[in-house]
Amino acid sequence: MTRYLVAFQAIVARELLRFTSQRGRFLSALVRPLVWLLIFAAGFRAALGISIIPPYLTYITYEVYILPGLCAMILLFNGMQSSLSLVYDREMGSMRLLLTAPLPRWWLLLSKLCAGVFVGVLQVYAFLLLAALFGVDLPPAGYLLILPALIIAGFMLGALGLLISSLVQQLENFATVMNFVIFPVFFLSSALYPLWRMRESSEFLYYVCAVNPFTYAVELIRFSAYSAFSSMSLLIVVITGILFFGFSVIAYTPARAGQRGRGPSQT
Amino acid sequence: MTALEVENVGFRYGARTALSAVSFRLEEGQFCALLGPNGAGKSTLFSILARLNDIQAGRVTIADCDLAAQPLKALAQVGIVFQQPTLDLDMTVQRNMMYFAALHGLHGARARRKIEQALSLLGMAERSTEKVRTLNGGHRRRMEIARALIHEPKLLLLDEPTVGLDAETRRAITDHVHNLAASGLSVLWATHLVDEVDDGDRVIVLHEGHVRADATAADLAGNRSLVDAYLELTGAAETSL
Amino acid sequence: MRLLVLFFTFLLASVAHADRIFVSNERSNTVTVIDGSTWEVLTEFPAGLRPRGITVSPDGSKLYVCASDDNLVRVFDTSSYEELFTLPSGPDPELFVLEPNGRRLYIANEDDNLVTVVDTQTKEVLAEVPVGVEPEGMAISPNARIVVNTSETTNMAHFIDTETNTIKYNMLVDQRPRYAEYTSDGTRLFVTAEIGGTVSVFDIDGDGAPTEVGKISFQVAGVQPEWLQPVGAKVTSDGQWLFVALGPSNRVAVVDAKTLEVEKYILVGERVWQLAFTPGEEYLLTTNGNTNDITVIDVASQEAVRSIPVGQQPWGVIVAPGIN
Repeated sequence: MTRYLVAFQAIVARELLRFTSQRGRFLSALVRPLVWLLIFAAGFRAALGISIIPPYLTYITYEVYILPGLCAMILLFNGMQSSLSLVYDREMGSMRLLLTAPLPRWWLLLSKLCAGVFVGVLQVYAFLLLAALFGVDLPPAGYLLILPALIIAGFMLGALGLLISSLVQQLENFATVMNFVIFPVFFLSSALYPLWRMRESSEFLYYVCAVNPFTYAVELIRFSAYSAFSSMSLLIVVITGILFFGFSVIAYTPARAGQRGRGPSQT
Repeated sequence: MTALEVENVGFRYGARTALSAVSFRLEEGQFCALLGPNGAGKSTLFSILARLNDIQAGRVTIADCDLAAQPLKALAQVGIVFQQPTLDLDMTVQRNMMYFAALHGLHGARARRKIEQALSLLGMAERSTEKVRTLNGGHRRRMEIARALIHEPKLLLLDEPTVGLDAETRRAITDHVHNLAASGLSVLWATHLVDEVDDGDRVIVLHEGHVRADATAADLAGNRSLVDAYLELTGAAETSL
Repeated sequence: MRLLVLFFTFLLASVAHADRIFVSNERSNTVTVIDGSTWEVLTEFPAGLRPRGITVSPDGSKLYVCASDDNLVRVFDTSSYEELFTLPSGPDPELFVLEPNGRRLYIANEDDNLVTVVDTQTKEVLAEVPVGVEPEGMAISPNARIVVNTSETTNMAHFIDTETNTIKYNMLVDQRPRYAEYTSDGTRLFVTAEIGGTVSVFDIDGDGAPTEVGKISFQVAGVQPEWLQPVGAKVTSDGQWLFVALGPSNRVAVVDAKTLEVEKYILVGERVWQLAFTPGEEYLLTTNGNTNDITVIDVASQEAVRSIPVGQQPWGVIVAPGIN
């Protein structure tokens, strides 16, 4: 068992070290949601408050509404970023080094995934700190209570990234993935507007948002932040997370390139 | 003990056959050159031995462990140097080594001791605090070989490890690896460059997925040069198609 | 039978333990009762036509409601919610203030440009004081010597001597004054002006004479200035914090009552109108006319903690202290 933990720790440490050496990545991870919070949110004439929906007990400003969604956005981008680094690792060969380690592949991928989640959660807290400095905050207990939600949501979104990295063969295709995954996933969710508001504008969009697992990642974080609990969100996020991870382990299993099964020559 | 036993290994990419009934044995302390032109199936064989690809047909045994049945136990006995460098360029040599050691379950003082030993073997000990980016190609390769030795494998696999290096560096690296074999390590060295093979080395010539020859370099060459013998084997095979 | 009555009395006493919040609903003609500890709506009972101003007797037993379209004040039992009696009020009573000893009620008659003084025991009108046009805001000094009335159209605060029931001082304020509020030591008075968008601040001397010392104005990023309409106001008993309801901007301003600096704006429901503290001043309650709810503000943290749906168009709010 110690062998597993030693490898786990090394994979997490490597990812963290790589992250801290990429100052640009950290900066953009913080600037992106801050732009939403401080610039876009001001433009959405919502200074007069958003009507009460669970888990909120009273009226909130638009900035307060989108805060959990922006936390999930950081996790989403981070999941994709880890996925990008996986594709990069594969092109640069580091993935081989990892996959030839004498440990089960699911463990190696899980370690990689956890490393990404760890980095993502750090980014979320850095962002929340900045947001609080700008006067947009959560209830004090919320900062602690969102931690499990962030980990679970980060796991699901990281697993999505892992799955995508197993399907995307080349680095150049990654921009396409960003366009076709990140933006629809983010915009067609409850991150920016409550679902009832979506429903007002289009029934179809509402249903798209309601089947988007990202919506439930956002709601899981939102409910936790306000000391509430959404069991449906938890269930959906956990199940999709496990599915994404399961499929990526299969996709990363040896011999995907070749034909399966044993030849007749085996004796 | 047999370091590596390959029995009837076959591999297809869809309709294309990459390896067909490849068999050979490698004993403890043997240096074996796997000689073959590009596309002969060397990389496919390495992928199988490194378990990046599953075995489709046949059987591979590494240090008495069946690779299909006990893959993790078998892999723990293998050190691999890939054709393509697999280094974190912005980290120090030591950190790269520690990362790999950890993947093999080694940590702390024990890992550091083994890393130091491995680096010394390749004459790289004094470079451990340098960033990999500042090392030249030869040093990077030596570092990767040292890295493949940290966990004291029984078998060392090198896939065209001298690609892109100048003649002098190539010579130094082949000498290092020959020394490793002399100290008891089994080495499988894939190359398409005949001059990396010593007279006493065992040579397996792989061409179009088939083993064309398996003998010592001296026996294979006979009264010709090894280059001529190699060209004859691979060229002849081409005309027979 | 007697046992049963005893049992119910006991039951009522135990139910009546917590503070009860009374909210007058202008459109649904009811008063909503909310438990001050669980925040649950206990009941909603009819309170006459267009109930607006609302207050309780000092002992917490009687609830006074201005039934504006009935042209009278209805008085209810705060435990049984039964109507006990009515008081004459003059036409269209909107807002009133009760003497600290609970005896006299001073009522603003919006349509008649009068303040009517009613004795709550004899139920007789003691006096009618002519004031400016559309009287609305009412306040009484802690020593009960001065009653302040604001008139919406005249843009004045009238200071009425309660011994002679005549106007002693008049002070101009900004357009459409809505509400007046004394500090608990009686040395300062705040008058809100809805259209003017300001709160005028007066220092009061020993004779009750006012001197204007400042004016508070408001500004919220992203909200048009004309929506910042000061209406209800409450000051903490230590004289430190003034809370001002800002109508259609959906906010309550938190003002340092000493420096007159606005410290914070708290988002509440739409068209926030009147305010009330819970007895220990732990919470401030706001009526939100357009969203049909009240918002509970934690006074110490100055944060809105929850909103509770009530009847239609809530107007006034008051809390009857719990019975121990």
